[in-house]
Amino acid sequence: MKKTKNPLRKRLFRELKADFGKYIALFLFMVATIGFVSGFLVAAGSMQKTFDESFDKYNIEDGHFVLKEEASDSLIEEIEKKQIEIYSDYYVEEDVDTNGDSTRDGTLRIFGEREEINKVCVLSGELPKTGDEIALDRVYMSNNKLKVGDTVSVAGKKLEICGIVALSDYSALFQDNSAMMFDANLFGVGVVINDTFEAFGEIHKSYSYGWKYDTEPKTEKEEKKKSDKIGEKLVLTAMQEGNEIEEFLPNYANRAIHFAGEDLGSDKPMMTVLLYVLIAIIGFVFAVTVNNTVEKEATVIGTLRASGYTKGEIFRHYITIPLVITFTAAIIGNILGYTVFEDVAKIMYQGSFSFTTYVTNWNEEAFVLTTVVPMIIVFIVIAFALGRKMSLSPLRFIRKDLDKKKKVKVIKLGKLPFLTRFRIRIILQNFTGYITLFIGILFAALLLMFGMIMPSLMESYGEDALKYKPCNYQYILYGPYEIENEQAEPYCVTNLKMQDDFYDEEEISIYGLQEDSKYYKEQLPENGVMVTSDMAEKYQLEEGDIINLQEEYEGKLYAFRVEKIFDYPTNLGIYMSMEAFAETFEFEDGYFNGYFSNEELTDSVLPEEQIVTHITDEELTRVSRQMDDSMGEMFGMVQVFAIVLFILLIYLLTKQILEKNAQSISMVKVLGYGNGEIAGLYIVASIWGVIISAILSLVFNTIFFQFLLRIFMNGYGGWFRLVISMEMYLQMFFLMLGTYLLVAFMQFLKIKKIPMSQALKNVE
Amino acid sequence: MFLEIKNLKKSYGEAGNRTEVLKGVSFSVEKGEICVLLGPSGSGKSTLLNIIGGIDTGDEGYVSINGEKTEDMKEKALTQYRRKHLGYVFQMYNLIPNLSVKENIEVGAYLSDKPLDINDLLHTLGLYEHRHKLPNQLSGGQQQRTAIGRAIIKNPDILLCDEPTGALDFHTSKEILKLIEDINQKYGSTVIMVTHNDALKEMAHRVIKFRDGNIRKDYKNETRIPVEELDW
Repeated sequence: MKKTKNPLRKRLFRELKADFGKYIALFLFMVATIGFVSGFLVAAGSMQKTFDESFDKYNIEDGHFVLKEEASDSLIEEIEKKQIEIYSDYYVEEDVDTNGDSTRDGTLRIFGEREEINKVCVLSGELPKTGDEIALDRVYMSNNKLKVGDTVSVAGKKLEICGIVALSDYSALFQDNSAMMFDANLFGVGVVINDTFEAFGEIHKSYSYGWKYDTEPKTEKEEKKKSDKIGEKLVLTAMQEGNEIEEFLPNYANRAIHFAGEDLGSDKPMMTVLLYVLIAIIGFVFAVTVNNTVEKEATVIGTLRASGYTKGEIFRHYITIPLVITFTAAIIGNILGYTVFEDVAKIMYQGSFSFTTYVTNWNEEAFVLTTVVPMIIVFIVIAFALGRKMSLSPLRFIRKDLDKKKKVKVIKLGKLPFLTRFRIRIILQNFTGYITLFIGILFAALLLMFGMIMPSLMESYGEDALKYKPCNYQYILYGPYEIENEQAEPYCVTNLKMQDDFYDEEEISIYGLQEDSKYYKEQLPENGVMVTSDMAEKYQLEEGDIINLQEEYEGKLYAFRVEKIFDYPTNLGIYMSMEAFAETFEFEDGYFNGYFSNEELTDSVLPEEQIVTHITDEELTRVSRQMDDSMGEMFGMVQVFAIVLFILLIYLLTKQILEKNAQSISMVKVLGYGNGEIAGLYIVASIWGVIISAILSLVFNTIFFQFLLRIFMNGYGGWFRLVISMEMYLQMFFLMLGTYLLVAFMQFLKIKKIPMSQALKNVE
Repeated sequence: MFLEIKNLKKSYGEAGNRTEVLKGVSFSVEKGEICVLLGPSGSGKSTLLNIIGGIDTGDEGYVSINGEKTEDMKEKALTQYRRKHLGYVFQMYNLIPNLSVKENIEVGAYLSDKPLDINDLLHTLGLYEHRHKLPNQLSGGQQQRTAIGRAIIKNPDILLCDEPTGALDFHTSKEILKLIEDINQKYGSTVIMVTHNDALKEMAHRVIKFRDGNIRKDYKNETRIPVEELDW
């Protein structure tokens, strides 16, 4: 015989219909959250895949070098003995006028036809076919508001833009590999036909040669070794031939190739944590709703259980709606993620980076993170909330005796005024409801905190970075180079990868300072090292701890004992004396490779060719800008999300309390209390609950946020110190209270509608 | 012997403040009997019904149905016992508000491998015309009929009724009692009915009177009368 389908299923649609407003709000909220995160993850994943595949697809170089003069055949032959193949990849750098006003609008690096390595990806239009055509990089064009068909003037020559392209070795438009950030407004790349290229002449031509290994190195270490040998050979051969090397750049060190790829995954931890916090909040709202339904339907559940329905059948029934909503929201969210929201994220990335043709890829990890995980979170939150209740006996349900705790003795309230006692009694009677309200406020406040604090953290990071910088100019050199300048103070620096169980590997600078440094006033420890306060905070270091670091390419391990922690926000650095530095890294005594200075060391004092890089204010604030670029707009959205969710939560939770008290309210009405007086009793009691919850939630969330920040920062280098001003706390507090007052007004209208006949209904 | 209760004891409350609700109750019921448990409030009759129904447990003694003791059953087995053998009707109808009359009865049918024919039962209950109505569109009597339908559709061995007419007026109560009698006759269900209405003993095959947790009287009613003739 065919088994009857569970008729309880028929309730589900009716339940949804009956509480349509609430469920649709939760559903839309979930769709927007999942859609946004899914779009972001799909775009980032697809970009990453496109980026990874571009190496083979466009035959990206394994490295390149630039010579002062054209390489002779013998030089090429000699270098190719190192089991590589060398390809000419000459370019010219010319000033460009993009708007026809005869002023310079930046620099274009122009290549001829690239058919063997570093091939060009045509995004729109076509590659140049005639001598007066040029194809330009998409980001540069976008930043300079250029389109196909426009004309630019390059070195006085008018060229029509025939296509939008991405040069596979310029996903980030670094003009100079030693620059810390790139500027895609003033620097762009493009291609022309070989005849046009030759017509630019020799003056601004760079003899660049790309190489490909005959056999690809398997590890970065091997790659480093191979490229070092090529470099050595090149130096020797070039010297013998009277040529000069202007640049030698293996693929792994080429920021124009790798920077974009490294940036792609950095926002993922923050986005996923945010998604899970939001889903947990929605799960909590579901749990509260389901819990109330269970309480309301306790006698029905008792009867069903007494008739033989199992706990599992009842639990499954009540969890079905939240799971169906979550599942549907996840599917629709994902569909929107792959369509609408993906574009938003794609535009965000493409605003900064020149990726080759973007293909949307199915991303199973994103699907699991935005579908399966939310389902699990909602299930766990509801199971946690309902689990205990579901284990009660049918008899307890029939008797509506769902509180496990023993009956509490009546608390004597002494000689407090009557209304105060009344309000306290309301709170005590609805204690579980207020605990739920507190948890709800705790969740909403966390979100509010996220939306409000992150922009402020980024701003104060930028300010602190400049405020605490040791000097105005910091130079890193290829090696010791003595200069005569009173302001210049030598120091040593190297970078090692931090080894930590929690965080991804991160590059940390190790400094060797002069004993009497005028730029660092801290007394250096005799043994061990001193670390900055942010380093200590991020890695939870204390004096006496051992930190482990690893050299990136050789893999050599270093261990340092933290002897001192000194105040230097925004910087993750390890400091020791120059002597200790030389000893640790096996340099000769007196070795240094940098200068601190308060005045700029001009080319006449410190020649440009000696400088690896100089650290600018831009570099100091890079982390906050990087975060602001990628997440800035999102924080504003989170603020709106937080406030909407906060209103929703407060409304739902205080509504539940009010509904539970409907009987008492109508009874008080029967006794002759007016609506205003009743609101004064019940709403004022809720206000107390909200104020206490708001204060506690700010305290707890400050602690919790510190923990969350550790997760967020996993994708970013550096550290944000959590400093929340009193003003910020007050803003959040009054925002919460203001929201509640709005809800309280809506409640007041509701109280007015509670009929007196409610009091006279049969109470079981 | 179909249902046997032997030396059943039950008390509530903390040590020092314990109330003995059942003080060693023993009796048995034959299959197909209507057994009325009579007694004032607090006499222990509802507690006894709940223990028979497997939703409460005794402190001592046992309840046995067809030789199976409920005290030996783990929770899962107890649920299956209720699912297979019992139908429950309470004073409050406890219907699912957003399911129609028919659907509420289907909630019971779902629990059985061999449920009764629902349309036939709806006719028996006098609810066929109202089968698409929601509970709030029904009178108290109709709601209680639906609750009985939900309990009886799975064709249980025992129908447990706890004050089934407690919330109903005289005429509606008689309708419900008539229905219970009809079901007993038509489907052969054993009915155990808790009530404080003394008049109902007249319709029972078996009457057990309770007072202060003890059986005061236990007898077979040789002069039972049809429900139509009941009066109180």
